[in-house]
Amino acid sequence: MTILEMEHVSKAFGGSLALNDVHLTVEKGEIHALLGENGAGKSTLMNILTGVVSMDSGSIQFDGAHFHNPTIKQMEAAGIAFVHQEINVVNDLTVFENIFLNREIQTPFKLLDRKKMIASTRQLFQELGVNIDPLMSVSDLKTSQKQLLVICRALHADAKLLILDEPTTALSNEEIAHLFSILKKSQEKDKSFIFISHKMPEIFELADRYTVLRNGEFVSTGLITDTTPNQIASDMVGKQFTEGDVYRSRTLGETYVELDNLSGPGFNNISLKINRGEVVAFTGLAGCGASELLQSMFGAQPIETGSLKINNQLIKGKIDTFMRHGVAMLPSNRKENSVIHDLNILDNMVIAEHVLSRRKMIINQRQEAERYTNQKNALNIKSQNPNDAITSLSGGNQQKVFLARWLNTDAHLLLFDNPTQGVDVAAKEEIYKLILKFASEGKTVIINTLEIPEIKKVSDRCVVFFEGQIVRIFDHTEISEHDVMLYSTNAVNTRGGHDHVS
Amino acid sequence: MSAEPIMRKVLPTVGRLIQTAWKKYSFVFVFFIILFVYSLTIEAAGNTFRWQHITAILSSQNTVIVGTIALGMGLVIITGQIDLSIGSALVLTTGATIVTFNVTDNIIITLLAALAAGAIAGGINGVLVGYAKMPPFIVTLGTMLIYRSISLYLVREISPDLTGSSSSQFAMLKSNQNYEAMRMKFGTGSLPGLSIPYITFVFIITVIIFVFIMSKTKYGKSIYAVGSNEKASHLAGVNVQWKKVSVFIITGMLVGLASFIQAAKIGNITPASSGKSYEMYAIAAVVLGGINMAGGRGNILGVFFGALSYTTINFIIVSVPSLSTDIQDTFQGLVLIIVILVQTIGPVIRERLQEIKKWRH
Repeated sequence: MTILEMEHVSKAFGGSLALNDVHLTVEKGEIHALLGENGAGKSTLMNILTGVVSMDSGSIQFDGAHFHNPTIKQMEAAGIAFVHQEINVVNDLTVFENIFLNREIQTPFKLLDRKKMIASTRQLFQELGVNIDPLMSVSDLKTSQKQLLVICRALHADAKLLILDEPTTALSNEEIAHLFSILKKSQEKDKSFIFISHKMPEIFELADRYTVLRNGEFVSTGLITDTTPNQIASDMVGKQFTEGDVYRSRTLGETYVELDNLSGPGFNNISLKINRGEVVAFTGLAGCGASELLQSMFGAQPIETGSLKINNQLIKGKIDTFMRHGVAMLPSNRKENSVIHDLNILDNMVIAEHVLSRRKMIINQRQEAERYTNQKNALNIKSQNPNDAITSLSGGNQQKVFLARWLNTDAHLLLFDNPTQGVDVAAKEEIYKLILKFASEGKTVIINTLEIPEIKKVSDRCVVFFEGQIVRIFDHTEISEHDVMLYSTNAVNTRGGHDHVS
Repeated sequence: MSAEPIMRKVLPTVGRLIQTAWKKYSFVFVFFIILFVYSLTIEAAGNTFRWQHITAILSSQNTVIVGTIALGMGLVIITGQIDLSIGSALVLTTGATIVTFNVTDNIIITLLAALAAGAIAGGINGVLVGYAKMPPFIVTLGTMLIYRSISLYLVREISPDLTGSSSSQFAMLKSNQNYEAMRMKFGTGSLPGLSIPYITFVFIITVIIFVFIMSKTKYGKSIYAVGSNEKASHLAGVNVQWKKVSVFIITGMLVGLASFIQAAKIGNITPASSGKSYEMYAIAAVVLGGINMAGGRGNILGVFFGALSYTTINFIIVSVPSLSTDIQDTFQGLVLIIVILVQTIGPVIRERLQEIKKWRH
């Protein structure tokens, strides 16, 4: 029996089509894997289903009722629960209080009936095989337990369909196994799940059916038993487009960066040599350790064991030590980690250089104006006035200002964490060209990105991470979207996956 | 060419200039509005508003002493923190300043002692906040109690030969050779002709130095950066912890300078009553000066006008004879709330108006 049927769903944001005639059907009591690359439209589709975003056209039928652009409350009442990647629990309350949040049982005198609520929570946990004390404070729970708590809360609220958005990213293997056993138990009680994940092994272990989206379009759906990891990877990436390729092979210099058995928060035993003038791309799923490694290579996170040499010098310390050795990092999440919103464009551009030249305390206005003009021309920054607010620029131009922030420090090793995040297509192309220009000037560039096409465009080598370790290094000519996807989802270690590496 | 098209061009430009001036220097307008109200109350009482009324504002304790400390408070608030200990710190450092003067009879050593004592008092706040990562509100609430209680204890325990008084007060010894120079010539003296006190010039020079630091130096820019986005500043290499500590040390040194002015102007300090609520007055001056309590934004020049505005409000209340001094704080509080209301509601109203305009089109 079908519990959910979404048909001909389309949605445009501004001029761009986020979803184009998409279909999704979920049977009662099944675990349905929703698959696709970043930006494929999974989130938009789920936001439409839960009433967060309205659709332009299409129809939703859930549990026998028709919905047209419902509200969040309507969908909650109908029995759909969205378990987000960021876990929404109230840390200062106990476990059972979280379960009964907003649906508290009251005594006839309108007081809270703690006994009844605790007993009911115990019973729920017992049925599902969850081993948490209902009286514990949520702040004392582990991440995995909080995740279970959110799922239990949804089940307790009688949700019929649960959307799990990458629920396993923060969990260990054992915890994942536990989570899966609980999902399977609730499946037997006719609960349905939409399971969003990028990890191929767990999809093949858990899911009954799947649907693949690509660039906002419906690609395929079917039984998991009828497909292979290779087929799904192909469906996800589609035909490869290499048009507008800006890559040119260059002669590289001697070894410039040397990681020897480097371990830190989120990555283990990384050994890697990178040459002067090389562009290396790190990639992998969220939480694979690549971003964490970049942060440790910049002093923003500690190095636990192993050594890091840059230009044959052993480097250890805080950010300004790394900066003095010519390292720069453009962090991911621009809004949070780069934008200093109360400073103007010029001050945002020179702040890192100020750190290095802090002994000259007074600002040389003329020199800074010159710097601004040079960078504006070199990076093609579309700004009117250096004194304008940084927030007056578009995402792409802001990102160029932050590139300039680091070019001003004369850094030789540029670490770019997700540099094209939230940047429009034209600006992306410009950033790719700039990266190659920096490399041809002898700078060494490491970019961390989840977008496989851009790896092909700029990098000499591609290093694939999975769960904190390097699983594969591709040379430029070997890089194919399909193979990178197989390794970063660890599909190579899934049923028959190895045979499909091209 | 007739005058009309020129006017049509000139008027909007003038309007825009006033608009940007109002946006950037609202604290100047606020001060002049308050000053205007003050002149009205004086005229209403049958007197004429004169230059001496303005010099009285410029030389008031609320301007020079609270104003000097408020510059530091401005820096602390720009980094997104708060310092509640300054009133108590002023009492303690003034005690140290006066004792130093009584013992050494040397003005330079007294000034250095005042600055050093202030830097230590501020440094303790800074280290607890910046390196021990405790909330500034709690830390400075604690030191506010500690600094005053130490002053109260010391004034009774130290021999009257050092404190200069036997009545629970630190007072400068009149028998010292330099007493005349420090108090009569410098502390209460003024520029001949203009009748503006020397200490007011000390305050104005301090303001100029801080306006320079905050707008023309790398340190100043980094202070704004830390207050605006701590994480991004850290990732740009800024030593965020040290910046947070440094503003407390600077505030301490300004408290030290204020202590020196207090000693020179008043000649004594009473730990049981002096400097009470100064932290609130300093915050009021900062807010009247248009500095955003959330951090990251504001012109330190505003603190100068904020301090003047605050002093003038006091004078208005005193100049209305039928008002009891007990009601003084009510008016100060009201003005503060109104100014903040204008700052926060103003942009919202403007946005609404624009929306309505758009909707009409």
